[in-house]
Amino acid sequence: MNAPDVSPGSIANVNLRQVGKNKPRNDAPTKVYGKAIYAGDFYMEGMLFAKVLHSDRASANIRSVDVSAAKALTGVHSVLTAADLTACNSVMTDLPGQTGGGTKDTSQPILAADRVRFHGEPIALVAAETYELAQQALDLIVVDYEDTEGVYDPFDSQKPGATIVYSDDNIVSAYKIRKGDTEKGFAEADYVLENTFTSQYQEQAFMEPEAAVAWVDEHEILNIRSSTQVVEHFRAVANALGIPHNRVHLQAPYIGGGFGGKEVMTIEVWLALLAMDTKRPVKLIQTRENSFLSHGPRHPFTFTHKTGVTRDGKITAMKIDITSDAGAYAKLSPYILLYATVGSTGPYRVDNLWVDSTSAATNNLPACAFRGFGTMQANTACEAQMEELAKLIGMDSLELRRKNFIQPGDPNTTGQIIRSSVWSDQCATQALAALGEQPGNSDHLVYGHGIACYQQSYGRIRWMKDTSESWVGLEMDGSLIVRCAVTDIGAGQMSALAQIAAEILGVPMDEVTVYFGDGHVNPLAGTSTASRALYMSGKATELAARAVRDNLLECMARHFEVSPGELDLADSKIFVLDNPERCMSTRDMVKVCAAEGVHRQNLAIFKAPPSEGLDPETGQGEVFPDFTYGAHAAQVSVDIDTGEVTVIKSVGAHDVGQAINLRAVEGQIEGSALMGQGFALSEELILEKGVLQNGSFSEYLIPTSEDVPEIQSIVLESRSGLGPFGSKGIGEPVFAPVAASIVNAVAAAIGTRIYDLPLTPEKVLAAITAKNAS
Amino acid sequence: MLPPFDLYQPQSLADALQALAENGDMQPLAGATNLVPDLRGKRETCRNFVSLQALDDLRYIKRDGTRVTLGARTTIADILHDHGMETDAPALYAVASIFAGSMVRTAATIGGNICCGSPSADTVPALLTLDAEVTLSSTSAERTVPLDEFYIDYKKSVMRGDELLTSVSWNIPPENSANLSYKLARRKGDAITVTGVAVLIAAQDGVCSRARIALGSVGPTIFRAKAAEAMLTGKALDEDIIEQAARAAADQSSPIDDIRASAGYRLQTAFSLTRRLLTQAWKQLA
Amino acid sequence: MSKQKNITVKVNGNAVEFVVPAHRTLLEALRHEGFVEIKCGCEKGDCGACAVLLDGEPVDSCLTLAWHADGREVTTIKGIGQPGKADPLQKAFIETGGAQCGYCTPGMIAAAKSLLKDNPDPSLAEIKRGLSGNLCRCTGYTRIFEAVQLAARELRDEGEAA
Repeated sequence: MNAPDVSPGSIANVNLRQVGKNKPRNDAPTKVYGKAIYAGDFYMEGMLFAKVLHSDRASANIRSVDVSAAKALTGVHSVLTAADLTACNSVMTDLPGQTGGGTKDTSQPILAADRVRFHGEPIALVAAETYELAQQALDLIVVDYEDTEGVYDPFDSQKPGATIVYSDDNIVSAYKIRKGDTEKGFAEADYVLENTFTSQYQEQAFMEPEAAVAWVDEHEILNIRSSTQVVEHFRAVANALGIPHNRVHLQAPYIGGGFGGKEVMTIEVWLALLAMDTKRPVKLIQTRENSFLSHGPRHPFTFTHKTGVTRDGKITAMKIDITSDAGAYAKLSPYILLYATVGSTGPYRVDNLWVDSTSAATNNLPACAFRGFGTMQANTACEAQMEELAKLIGMDSLELRRKNFIQPGDPNTTGQIIRSSVWSDQCATQALAALGEQPGNSDHLVYGHGIACYQQSYGRIRWMKDTSESWVGLEMDGSLIVRCAVTDIGAGQMSALAQIAAEILGVPMDEVTVYFGDGHVNPLAGTSTASRALYMSGKATELAARAVRDNLLECMARHFEVSPGELDLADSKIFVLDNPERCMSTRDMVKVCAAEGVHRQNLAIFKAPPSEGLDPETGQGEVFPDFTYGAHAAQVSVDIDTGEVTVIKSVGAHDVGQAINLRAVEGQIEGSALMGQGFALSEELILEKGVLQNGSFSEYLIPTSEDVPEIQSIVLESRSGLGPFGSKGIGEPVFAPVAASIVNAVAAAIGTRIYDLPLTPEKVLAAITAKNAS
Repeated sequence: MLPPFDLYQPQSLADALQALAENGDMQPLAGATNLVPDLRGKRETCRNFVSLQALDDLRYIKRDGTRVTLGARTTIADILHDHGMETDAPALYAVASIFAGSMVRTAATIGGNICCGSPSADTVPALLTLDAEVTLSSTSAERTVPLDEFYIDYKKSVMRGDELLTSVSWNIPPENSANLSYKLARRKGDAITVTGVAVLIAAQDGVCSRARIALGSVGPTIFRAKAAEAMLTGKALDEDIIEQAARAAADQSSPIDDIRASAGYRLQTAFSLTRRLLTQAWKQLA
Repeated sequence: MSKQKNITVKVNGNAVEFVVPAHRTLLEALRHEGFVEIKCGCEKGDCGACAVLLDGEPVDSCLTLAWHADGREVTTIKGIGQPGKADPLQKAFIETGGAQCGYCTPGMIAAAKSLLKDNPDPSLAEIKRGLSGNLCRCTGYTRIFEAVQLAARELRDEGEAA
């Protein structure tokens, strides 16, 4: 249950010694000394090297695949095509880590058999003594394609006569929300405004390309060390290979960035097949160009907003139409569409709501998970619409937002009652204030300020009945271990667990060892996705640590002849609160407790609050455990001769519930500020008839050090989150409003809005030119 | 991974030139910062290279009175480490400081940037504003070609297969001159130029005594907008004259549409950036 | 066609010998020899993850031919500092939080090391310029800039004390 509202802006008045402090993360040293071994750094004796043949076109039949020359090459140990996958040539890409229970058909061929549906679809796998030999073998494979008519637009793909890519109608997923009475709501409005907003493909661009090593060990267990966000994929690998789940051991070392791009299986099954076929260890590090084709980018979205508002600024009705381009396979499109549907109303209370959302298949890249997962795009459109509404009725846009912010106790888009604090107003006010004065325009620069708020879920969809497990134990010498299969994708997932256990058991955080990322040796944590790792694994760790603490205190209470509540643990000691000189070292305490047979370890499971799903007609139901609220503000300049946008100041203000590691929270805000800037201004995948035109880092432009604005983090703590110590998930939430704030700032600076992202210099200049002409 | 190729590593310029004379299919390789990506991306078909790596006598910055000469193997980092370059070639120094990233600057050479022939080679517009000349050497002869006459078409120059570009030189700009550049790209760091402009304006007795306008990424080659330059020489510059000259410079461009920008955007920005740089240059001289 | 050559490179002070053809990059050669602290991000000089110091100067090892490194010295992140003998940059990265996923870190620190050698008192603009060839997707660079400034101060203090 969420804690009651704490006075806004205050740091909660609780005695925390390590949680909430600015501490270096436990994984920092191994990374800065270059000792961290990533998946592609792993070496095994006798290792072979893999290469993958990806389709070079988006829509074609495969007449034949001739691998005879490739197989004949000396040093080539395996060449696999669909023809070899007789037992199973299919993986379910639904619900990472779950089994069964898909939404419609989310299966995808492991290797394309008689048809390719997207640029990059894998056709053949090769394992050879060296990468060079593998490449030579690849070059000897002859694919006889028969080009076919494809469809490259999700509106076109829904029209009769369109090429069918998925199922029988190209509809991957659809939702509707019917809430209240929109007809009445529009009738009551003083103004009705309709706009359409579109956004583009974004590539995750993690610095470490997909990489893995697979091998069969002396126990005939298939091992895979992979750069993955989900070790539970061992189940899908096992299913694909037709072997029992308990004989596939998937481990994830430190991951060089994921952002959702390593959430579904990428290369694991390919390597598993090659390892099983060759009986040798096999390694693959994807080339960057193939990486662009191997995991699925952010969905392009179209949002049409029709909003009714009174002259006093009350929203009376919203009608929203949503379409996403799923690409050639379903993957996670249904879930991303659901997130976009729920997030379509932003952080506002809308009682009269009509939403229709559709995800349609095309021969474009199969889009997939990326930080924000549909809510970010929905929020960007909503926050743009709010600005246009404010302009229409002549009201300050923050004032308009204030009149409509959802409040605790209100029902959200799907009728779920909001229970946590909602500090949208405080966050927006502080973020905007932090921008300071807007500079005056110069001869070729105009300036603008922009604000955006958001409501972003953390924790998975509740009818997935999500759980996470963690084990905490004290060794005989007092040293602390946490075992949890959480994958560390760079945001400090592992270190946070150390910090939580350290706080509860009173030992220094940097002395806690966390064994993580191992799908069979560690208790399963679930995915590092959906901003759930801290919430779910943090709670499980908290529960396990508290159970150990309770056992210890109960025993030591007898020893000290006090009640357990009169004892505390800190600085590697147990001590009596009223008389701290009565104390004992943790090491001695453990010996005393061990002698009495006290259980000084615990395996805990944390279960997220479940729900049963949405009403298919009304779209009402409980979707998420909780939401995070906040705001982002941006100050930009625009060069009116070139259209170049410079973000000068970028301020994120968020109620994170309780920061577990303050530096890590700020790090997320800072990283988001730049990633959102890229989405707003420079990042887009360009496809022509489904074929990617800019699949490298010199053509796909993420922000560099020279593009960094002055970034400021304002961290508010309401302690009303469901996570440990009242924390909320933040990885996606702090990213949600960034692009919108920049887009709004540009609109303010140039006095006109661009409805299609990204805002490239060319688009901005065209908008300025058009405005000047009119 | 790169395709297999032959690499000859001579220890002297004479040996390098001999190899080029004897092998019609051989090309020089210096910093390789363009060649490696081009080989990997299968855009480069040559498989026989002569490395200039060991030719230290091609890596120098020499001054002789007002004449500055750079050996072809002078790296972009070398240019930045020579602080005299800030006054001896202001626009060149400015583009060098934002040339790719620091690692590429360590390896990339001025000779390589000139010879790659790309319309987006960042040093070339600046060098054109300096009336730079290049020296082309072969086993039989040495000739000097104005950089202005070096390029004949997209990635085609007057350099023969048996020649090596061994140096580039120019006279330092006059005291009362301004030498400015602008690199327009889709992000601020390490990006391929969308429109590149460099200008040099010298003033004497209140009028423009020399005007150079060089444009990159807006045509098959990097070029000087000579018709525009002629409009400025001998005149006291004002808003109208500058506007006309900028218009003329843009008219001389023939940009294309590509994934970075449309031809129309390049035309528009060639005009507005030329106008801006001319205005700034003239203001600096006032 | 591909002639092989005996190449000797000093890596972090120790001579390493290997036999490679001309088209082998320094990145490929050294990772094959076990120097996996040199990261592979794009293999075409766009990301800087593979940056090392070659005779003290920062290069992308993916753009450097192994033959061109013959007889020269390479310094990787492990040569820049180790636990117990940490470079001020490494200490600063730990303190400020300059590493999140850590994959860009070896190349980033190599570039930063060279930046500080050239310019012991860099402005923020100069730091941004010096690191523009190193992509980072996680941190937003802010803590990296702080780390470079912190290390610069420490190095200057050390220099003054010496």
